[in-house]
Amino acid sequence: MDFVVAQILTGLSLSSILLLVALGLAIIYGVTGVINLAHGEFVMLGAYCAWLLQSQFGWSLLASLAVIFLLIAALGWLIELAVIRHLYDRPLDTILATWGLGVMTQQIVRLTAGGELRYVQMPPSLSGSVNILGATDSAYRLFVLAVALGLFLLTWCIYRYTSFGLKLRAITQNRAIASSFGINSARAYRLTFAYGAGIAGLAGALISPLKSVSPEMGTTYVVDAFMVVVLGGVQSLVGTLASSAVLGEASGLLAYYSNDTIAKALVLIAIVIIIRFRPQGLFAPRVRA
Amino acid sequence: MSGKISRQILLYGIVCLAILAVPLLVDNAFLLNKYARYLIFGMLAIALSLSWGYAGILNLGQAMTFGLGSYCMAMFLKLKTVPIHTGSDGLPDFMVWNNVTELPWIWVPFQSMPFALLAGMLVPALFAALLGWFMFGGRVAGVYAAIITLAAMVVVNLIIIDQQSYTGGFNGITDLAQFDILGLAFDAYSASTYYLVAVCLTVTLFVALVVSRSKTGLILQAVRDQEERVRFFGYDVALYKTFIFALSAAIAGLAGMLYTIVMEFASPTFLGVPLSLSIVIWVAVGGRQSLLGAMLGAMLVTGVQGALSETEAFLETWTLVMGGLFVLIVLFMPKGLAGAVEALLRRIPGGERKGDARPAARQGSKSQPHLGGAL
Amino acid sequence: MTPAREQLLALRQVTVSFQGFVAVDRLDLAVASGELRCLIGPNGAGKSTTLDLICGKSRTTSGEIAFRGAPIHALKEFRIARTGIGRKFQVPSVFRELTVRENLEIGCSRGPGVWRNLFRFSGGADTERLERLAVLVGLEDHLETQAAQLSHGQTQWLEIALILAQDPVLILMDEPTAGMTAHETSMTAALFNRLRGRHTLVVVEHDMGFVRDIAETISVMHQGRLLAQGTADEISQDAKVREAYLGSGGIGHA
Repeated sequence: MDFVVAQILTGLSLSSILLLVALGLAIIYGVTGVINLAHGEFVMLGAYCAWLLQSQFGWSLLASLAVIFLLIAALGWLIELAVIRHLYDRPLDTILATWGLGVMTQQIVRLTAGGELRYVQMPPSLSGSVNILGATDSAYRLFVLAVALGLFLLTWCIYRYTSFGLKLRAITQNRAIASSFGINSARAYRLTFAYGAGIAGLAGALISPLKSVSPEMGTTYVVDAFMVVVLGGVQSLVGTLASSAVLGEASGLLAYYSNDTIAKALVLIAIVIIIRFRPQGLFAPRVRA
Repeated sequence: MSGKISRQILLYGIVCLAILAVPLLVDNAFLLNKYARYLIFGMLAIALSLSWGYAGILNLGQAMTFGLGSYCMAMFLKLKTVPIHTGSDGLPDFMVWNNVTELPWIWVPFQSMPFALLAGMLVPALFAALLGWFMFGGRVAGVYAAIITLAAMVVVNLIIIDQQSYTGGFNGITDLAQFDILGLAFDAYSASTYYLVAVCLTVTLFVALVVSRSKTGLILQAVRDQEERVRFFGYDVALYKTFIFALSAAIAGLAGMLYTIVMEFASPTFLGVPLSLSIVIWVAVGGRQSLLGAMLGAMLVTGVQGALSETEAFLETWTLVMGGLFVLIVLFMPKGLAGAVEALLRRIPGGERKGDARPAARQGSKSQPHLGGAL
Repeated sequence: MTPAREQLLALRQVTVSFQGFVAVDRLDLAVASGELRCLIGPNGAGKSTTLDLICGKSRTTSGEIAFRGAPIHALKEFRIARTGIGRKFQVPSVFRELTVRENLEIGCSRGPGVWRNLFRFSGGADTERLERLAVLVGLEDHLETQAAQLSHGQTQWLEIALILAQDPVLILMDEPTAGMTAHETSMTAALFNRLRGRHTLVVVEHDMGFVRDIAETISVMHQGRLLAQGTADEISQDAKVREAYLGSGGIGHA
């Protein structure tokens, strides 16, 4: 029993990280149709911000979260303004441009912060562990899980219940028609991109105490996040939640049974097969094209 | 029309002759080795230009086919060393270290040179054909196809790293014999190897030119423009795309084989994400819709990179500059340097038809039939 | 109806539904060889969908489509095209990045194989034929012009020329005169009358004047079904047709 609970908790922790990382990508992709290959770099920048604020200014991680969200959101806003908005009707070029941006970001970090691994301290208040049904789990991991779910709910509520969300849904259906009804789709896209970037930054900051921080860390996360989005379906936030949960638990099990390299290869093969046979995702209903 | 084609052939021929003439001016074996590497990157750029520029298939995993070709050659050259390095076992050294007792079946045919040379092109082509059939048969296109090519490459890369006892794993296959054929030996640091690469490049460039000029090339451009429409004329679009994808893979495989000869080893980095991204950058810089532009773009970018790589700090900054340049080109110059040169030539009065004096109206459009230059 | 002619195309009880919406409902339609058939009906009657079903762009939910006596509804689009069916789309779709000449070369699709086309080049055997076609549709001075720079009417003509280059037995035309001037429309009518006999045509059209100029038999569709069939006069007298068109301004303006 303890073992099963522990396994489930491990999976949940992985799921929460996946959800955090994928949420931003899913929002951006779902609304604007842009596959942001620099998404991993937003995550990485969030982690570096956490490191910088902690090591240089002595901020606790919890205190810096809001600042990090705003910083990375502002960066996303700028990138949308400078690059992405020119490319909405050239989808192949967006993945190239965002890829290029990712390389630049990595390189800038390497040149300024150095290539070595960095570590971020866990907030002392959350460094203990909690007993759940006989299994122990780190309080911080549970905190991350709570934040991930909270952010998801917040995003979902914005999308469902605010007038901004309604506009977004209208734009997603048909940008031209939404624009003709006076919806400022350029502004909506920019805000969406900023919000998605901000959440990615937040994800990076939250992950930083759990993993080491390096300029290359984003690459892994963009693949994972993409996997979640592909599996969950492009325009379904609930699908993102479901696929994070499934993938987190599955990779927890997979890591238990096989080696890491093969697990990575299997994830990629799964992506390929899903794209080929169910491009709309596993959790999205079939609709007429 | 035909005047333009002959002008194009002339231009391509001059460039190839210039490339072939380099050893007459350069007598430095180290430099020739370096230049041969740039030529190989030029071949890779031609391969990507065929699939991306002409057929609109953005292959983010072009390095996969390059790496497969490279490993085919490395396996052959490794087996040539076997009696010397390992004595009676008849096994490559790294297999002995990994406690492999029998030559794996996949290695056995690589004892034959004709097989290895064919495999170096056919294995990548077959891989690409299968992947192409899988994607294009299911009408996966655009961004999704790009992602699949990337994922497929990473999978192959991971498998090669994981299967250390058969592939040399992370270290790749090193300590190779020298390549020789028909009594000619190809020392990596020699003019003869440079010529080998230059001749292969020339042949590749002209084969690619013929394909792009053929009706098949035209149909592929139509597919790039409006895939759906082409089907209703009775063309099997998936087959056309698979064909160009496989041809591009075969060219990359040939480039990979040559790269092993020039570098004297094969490594998993040959089918890594950074190289694949570099190929895309070269082609974007040179001009994706121009074979010659893409090829020269590769040589230009890698040449500058090579000149700067003497100092580590320069190289790091260069990667940053390259990234920025790439983003700018994607944004504002989708046709790369070749497109810019064509636009310039079009402005030179006298030569061209009236329709050509409006480069602005042609943004993002194909230009061969009008071009002032014959890029 | 001309019973002497051999039947070329037959739709039997063809039905298609999208997410429960039945766009074409147990449609029976037969077209004889060499005929010029017009397909009319109010918006949403299922006319374009019917053409989509014949050329394979959409798939039937049930029913059978036979062409030259063999079922084609399960074939892939390019195989259907190879049996001799050409399609002109409602939104003119030509290859905008290519020149008019190159477009026409694509249209000449007699040998559709990859291998064979590797050894064919511009200026080959098709040149004379495609230049004649360019003259036929008035684009002979624009052979080297990029298709993106043609006017709307010219683009329509180019697509018609592409279909003629393909030289199919059966031509499916979806609103060929949309966006054309009155002069262009009458020239199109003249062209269609010349094609009669050599090709079989099924034309979806809203312009009743144009339909009167060209049609022998008119089939009227309504809510996915065949409502009436006959000559132009018979159709305009038909009570059911008048009723179906009520609310869309009468048949002449539909």
